[in-house]
Amino acid sequence: MKATAKYLALGLGAIVFAYPFLWMITSSLKPEADIGGFGLWSTHFTLSNYAQVFERIPLGRAFLNSIIVSLSSTVSVIVFGSMVGYALARLQFKGRGALYAVVVFTMTLPFQITLIPQYILMVKLGITDTYLALVAPTLMTAFSIILFRQFFIYIPQALIDAARIDGCSELRILFRVIWPLSRPVVITVSLLTFMSSWNEVLWPLIVVRNRSLMTMPQLVTLFTIGGEAESLLGLQLAAATLLALPIIIAYSFFQRYFIESMASAGIKG
Amino acid sequence: MSRGIVRSIMLVISVCTLLWWTGCSNQKSPQGSGSGEVVELTYWPAPNPQEMQLADTLVRRWNRTHPGIQVRMQSIPVSQSTEEVLLAAIAGKTTPDVCSNIWPGALHEYTRAGGLIALDQFSDFDSIALARTPHDLLEPFRSENGRFYQIPWKTNPVMMFYNVRMFEEVGITKAPRTYSEFFAAAKKLTRDLDGDGQTDVWAGERDIRPIWWQRLFDFYPFYIAASGGKTLFKAGEPDFNDEDAKSVFMFFQECYMENYFPHTYFQGGDPFLLEKKATHFAGPWEVATLHSLAPHIRFDVAPLPVPDRHTGPVYTYGDYKNIGVFGTTKHPHEAWEFVKYLMLAEHDLLLLTITNQVPVRGDLLTNHLFSEYFRQNPKMVRFAEQAISTRGVDAAPDLKEILDAISQVYESCAVYGKVTPAEAVDGAFRRTQMIVKWNK
Amino acid sequence: MTSLWKFDSPRHRQSKTGYWFVLPYAVFFGGFVAYPLIFSFVLLFHRWNVVTPMEWIGLKNFERLFSDPLFFKAIINTLKFLLIHIPLQMVVALGLAVLLNSKLKCRGFFRAVFFLPVVVSGVVVTILWQQLYAFDSGLLNRMLSAVGIGRVPWLIDPDMAMLSIALMATWKNVGIYIILFLVGLQDVPRELYESASIDGATRARQFFRITLPMLRPTFVVVVVLSTIGGFSLFVEPYVLTGGGPMESTLSAVLYIYNQAFYFNHMGYAATLGFVFALIILGVVLLQRKVIETEPTT
Repeated sequence: MKATAKYLALGLGAIVFAYPFLWMITSSLKPEADIGGFGLWSTHFTLSNYAQVFERIPLGRAFLNSIIVSLSSTVSVIVFGSMVGYALARLQFKGRGALYAVVVFTMTLPFQITLIPQYILMVKLGITDTYLALVAPTLMTAFSIILFRQFFIYIPQALIDAARIDGCSELRILFRVIWPLSRPVVITVSLLTFMSSWNEVLWPLIVVRNRSLMTMPQLVTLFTIGGEAESLLGLQLAAATLLALPIIIAYSFFQRYFIESMASAGIKG
Repeated sequence: MSRGIVRSIMLVISVCTLLWWTGCSNQKSPQGSGSGEVVELTYWPAPNPQEMQLADTLVRRWNRTHPGIQVRMQSIPVSQSTEEVLLAAIAGKTTPDVCSNIWPGALHEYTRAGGLIALDQFSDFDSIALARTPHDLLEPFRSENGRFYQIPWKTNPVMMFYNVRMFEEVGITKAPRTYSEFFAAAKKLTRDLDGDGQTDVWAGERDIRPIWWQRLFDFYPFYIAASGGKTLFKAGEPDFNDEDAKSVFMFFQECYMENYFPHTYFQGGDPFLLEKKATHFAGPWEVATLHSLAPHIRFDVAPLPVPDRHTGPVYTYGDYKNIGVFGTTKHPHEAWEFVKYLMLAEHDLLLLTITNQVPVRGDLLTNHLFSEYFRQNPKMVRFAEQAISTRGVDAAPDLKEILDAISQVYESCAVYGKVTPAEAVDGAFRRTQMIVKWNK
Repeated sequence: MTSLWKFDSPRHRQSKTGYWFVLPYAVFFGGFVAYPLIFSFVLLFHRWNVVTPMEWIGLKNFERLFSDPLFFKAIINTLKFLLIHIPLQMVVALGLAVLLNSKLKCRGFFRAVFFLPVVVSGVVVTILWQQLYAFDSGLLNRMLSAVGIGRVPWLIDPDMAMLSIALMATWKNVGIYIILFLVGLQDVPRELYESASIDGATRARQFFRITLPMLRPTFVVVVVLSTIGGFSLFVEPYVLTGGGPMESTLSAVLYIYNQAFYFNHMGYAATLGFVFALIILGVVLLQRKVIETEPTT
């Protein structure tokens, strides 16, 4: 009895969370006139909405842009973030404590305060409407540094000493000894960085006006609120589905990592 | 189809006139460039196809007859607004010599950035300007310091289009002149045609989203009409905290409250074209649009409705586009010659013929040069009549944000009926004061 | 002493490497944190539209800010959003987390489904909910009409629009907090429940006397995270309502964005951002203080 109620509640929850996505995907495959209802099935499934979206906006290019931007930001964050994290955790140098304080301070700084000056910096450097402007402010994050530092602190000193005695450089120690031991944190940082970079809208809206440089969420946003979708539901839903699909696919493969990353990030944050 | 033919004939006639004229003037000009050096000017027209065509024609004629002053026409990128492009150009010192797409609302930004030269420095400015434009229409474009940085070129008066068939169906033969007449008509015009309890046709409709430039088609022209030709500013200070502004908000509030205007965002195309609304506030370009997209619609044009107590002529907002010469020019005198050339009567005829926009001149209906055009385009006569009673926008700083402030109270007062007209005027006025104070 | 001398050389090497390792960050910090911070102070006292030269205007930006009804409206809207969003989120997340924490088949499946909206872009979620919330033809109103409740003016009623946005944001983010609560719940020692059962405490009593107090650290994290997240509300109103109707969904970040990129008031937008950041810091510090100093049962 009680168990039934429990499963009923969870089942209802699952419908609430999953059904809208199913509806979105199936509706994007229906002709405009069929979209109204809340059923999933249609007798005339068609790809015409997708064909039209690709005709109206350069979504393929935007996909590529998003990949370039998200990957470069992710690679930079894990390489440089782990370097700084390692230095803060395992290397002795003057000012280490102060630096750590600075990193923590940066994390508590609301982005609202630096948003406008960062944009102006892009203008002054003359790099608005470039990939560099898109990725620049996300090349390093205080959050990843702290996460790396926290993890590296618990790595046994003996391993590092052994490598040092073997004459390894610190860089080699980091990437050959520490990294293989730190898979969970590397995965966590990668996933979180990639995801937030992939889903970011505000910054691209600010620094990119040139359509061929727009990222996918930016292009889809402008497609929806600018008149181009002509309030056609099918087109908007098709564009939204295309934007969601890469992340949903990645999520279905690495689901466990996604959830664990969020959990550990939330707790450390 | 016949319109097309008429238009091409008109074009040929005007081109002939032009050739005859330029042939004449060739002997006396060009002056001042006798040294043999060729002066080069750049000219930016508005980036729409009709005006590009007009500019192209005019520039070709000029270059043929002025070997010493060659004009190069450049088009403003369509992707951005002219105001954005010009401001960026001022900052980068890449402005053209002459631009004929100066919106007076942005003039303040241009002059603040030091972009424009005063045109009244040329000795013949007054005679040229006043010969074409009545004093009353010219004066509002004088800047706060008393100088003229722009010369009015064309105006698009906002008037009331109405669907004659829909009016006749409910037994109305005359366009409503006052608010009361409008409401009386609206009551009959707003109908449920198929008896399903839902309204199918409305007396009017406005985009309910608070978009700043939409106010240039409702609140602002109605305010100018109600106040007998006042604009938002007087001597650089906001000056619309008055009964006229309140009566305009009262008018629109009633339109929404009585459901003469729909409360939803209209999807599926222009409701006037689809004959879903009986009235429409727009400029003369709409005449050509209606002729080409919906030739079956019988429409007429009338001045905007005014408060019942109103007497005298009905003014309205005219979307002025003025001509200015930029500070980067190396040849101000030659640029001024070109400006004068753009405003010749013959070229005003071309402006009418090609673009259906109204030149700012006092003799449109008396000069025989234009009579053939108005015989062919009777609806345009209404706009020519109205043109002498138009006001532009003030050259106030941040006009866009001021109109945005008005949009917000328009939404809360008219569309949603949540604040009274007095509160609406007061709210918008105080925000305008704040914006103006901040800009000082 | 001698041992110190012995290690001096590797120490020296370490300290040099240390500087090399943090150098990229130092450059980044200088460019993207320190410079913008300093520059934002400069902007506070200027009027600037980016293309024409900056103008020093003293304290006018602040003067304007304190007499700007829209600034206060944006702050109140954002606080309103938080007040609806945070409690709703905590109740739903905790409820689902408790269910998931019991003996269960397919726990992984449910967890994965609840988490799905978290990973998907806010733009997708917003476009989707725009359809769900549509007044005439939206999925929700069709369902409500079908069961006889009638249509709800989700996004077109100024009193309701922010609530609708908060509801949507909860749907999108609750997955994170379910996971956080799950982790918290698993950290509660079993023995506490066992001894409570022996003492004859009911399930409800156990929940209020043991579970809730033990989850206190999780509550702190949840409140702080969703406060910071809530203060950055932008995409949802930007796409869904544009800040309307009647500015009822104008969030603080949306207002900053409008001032900066719609009206080109960089100095004023920076001032808004600055004051807004101070408010965020204040609220977060206050929250921490309140939650952390509450007596533990």
